[in-house]
Amino acid sequence: MPTLIACFKWVVDEAYIRRGAGGTLDFSSVDYKIGEYDRNAIEEAVRLRDAGGGGSVIGLTVGPPESAKGVKDGLSRGMDQAIFVSDASFRDLEPSQTAAILAEVIRTRIPQYDLITCGEGSSDLYAQQVGPRLAERLGIPCVCFVQKLALEVGRLRAERRVEDGVEVVEAPLPALVTVLPDINTPRIPGVKDTLMAGKKPVTTVKKEDLAGGFEAALKTGAMTAASLERAGEKLAADAAGIARFVDALRKSGLIR
Amino acid sequence: MAGIWIVAETREQAFELLGAGCTLAPGMEAALTAVVPKGSAPPGEYIARGADEVLLLAALAPGEPFGAHLPVIEQEAGAGSPDLILFAATARGKESAARLAARLGCGLCSGCTALAFDREARSLRMERLAYGGAAIQKLDALSKPVIVTVPPRSFEAAAAAEGRQGRVRELPAPPPSPVKIVERKPKEKAATDIAEARVIVCAGRGFDRQEDLALARELADALGGELGATRPVTEELHWLPEDLCIGLSGVQVKPELYVGLGVSGQVQHMTGVRGAKVVCAVNRDENAPIFALADFGIVGDLYEVVPKIIEALKT
Repeated sequence: MPTLIACFKWVVDEAYIRRGAGGTLDFSSVDYKIGEYDRNAIEEAVRLRDAGGGGSVIGLTVGPPESAKGVKDGLSRGMDQAIFVSDASFRDLEPSQTAAILAEVIRTRIPQYDLITCGEGSSDLYAQQVGPRLAERLGIPCVCFVQKLALEVGRLRAERRVEDGVEVVEAPLPALVTVLPDINTPRIPGVKDTLMAGKKPVTTVKKEDLAGGFEAALKTGAMTAASLERAGEKLAADAAGIARFVDALRKSGLIR
Repeated sequence: MAGIWIVAETREQAFELLGAGCTLAPGMEAALTAVVPKGSAPPGEYIARGADEVLLLAALAPGEPFGAHLPVIEQEAGAGSPDLILFAATARGKESAARLAARLGCGLCSGCTALAFDREARSLRMERLAYGGAAIQKLDALSKPVIVTVPPRSFEAAAAAEGRQGRVRELPAPPPSPVKIVERKPKEKAATDIAEARVIVCAGRGFDRQEDLALARELADALGGELGATRPVTEELHWLPEDLCIGLSGVQVKPELYVGLGVSGQVQHMTGVRGAKVVCAVNRDENAPIFALADFGIVGDLYEVVPKIIEALKT
């Protein structure tokens, strides 16, 4: 019966970020979500538990107190229990800090586990570091960018996607994987899942409960809005609009 | 003397990373070290392209992954104490860079889009994209070394110069990795590389059925271009191979012309189109974000509009 740990992050939904005055980021109307890739990490842990006919999935997240919403969201996606590492200062952690915190929590609070699943990157920073950094901190094997995964006795077998193809790899357990979006299709929680999520155990770990200092290795000097905006000329789907559109294509200088 | 290291899996990667290193080395007054697999190229080729020192990674046994080199690289970096270590932002490069950063206890700027040395402040200025490409994050290093992953094709390959001198040293073989490769499935070489295409017609979720992509292909042919796709089309629907997926987590393209058909304009996708000269779109939802991110857009049903465009292009 495997014990699986699914790491996830409650993030700003970038679709709601507006460009404010002077190129600032306007977060005034944002909503939050579990990172897209992290949903695959949760789903894969839950799938492996169910495929193995038992075991348990522990969800693990680090964030400010308002990430409690994400803990409940995560539990509605099939995890059995969650550990929420929460502090107001955990709002803008740098990947090295997140990995260090996760490592300490796993080392001190989860005595035995078989597999840790992470998304290939968070939806907000997408630095793609926390998974491999966490594996190194725990001293366990790491397989990144996995598109297919199976647990065997004492080891995993994974297909990892690299630029020149696919590597089928094996590694002894416990191990850590980061998963690609096409490894599975994350479930959409129903009303019943949401109700059940409220009854599942959540352990909250406070900063004071941790021994580490968790110094940042990089400092964000500024975060400004990227400009993707263009002329934005909208045309109707009539003869005049199509003529103008085709004219624009021709003017790009490529069409005979 | 300060040091810049580049760690590469292949000769081509090494040349590009040396190109990046060469732009920084004079300002940083740094020596350049290339850490490359033995046999990837004659060491003289790296020296000719700016390396002052070449460290040769030992040949690996068949099932050993590239990551097996990490303990050796870690030890060498600990002894050589470079200021900056560059990796390519490929699957292996990204994993190795993050693991090395954890081992060295240092910072890592992932997917760096701008890298410069500020001579006055004596510090590196790094930029990357965040929030799916909606934001630019500026980073300063608080540790030494700092590791940076650079997306392929960000820098020109270093040019070879004659008469350069450098040292070459072979590194010891690493201990066996716990991760073993049991099978390699090489990718069938894609007929085209959309990263280099001059015209791209991109199919989005607005297509109802896989066979309808023929319409996008027909427009691509009429424009002398290639077909690309958004992430839902490649990774959720599997209608097209993933090497055609354009976006932050896919291919970054820089065509003269991009035409999005049934593409809503999610920021992760449009970030991959940032380098396009002209962006056009056809979408039936007039509120689709793509219209603000395009130069020209037709509000209409692509099934009606695209045949008319193809027809008009013929006249």
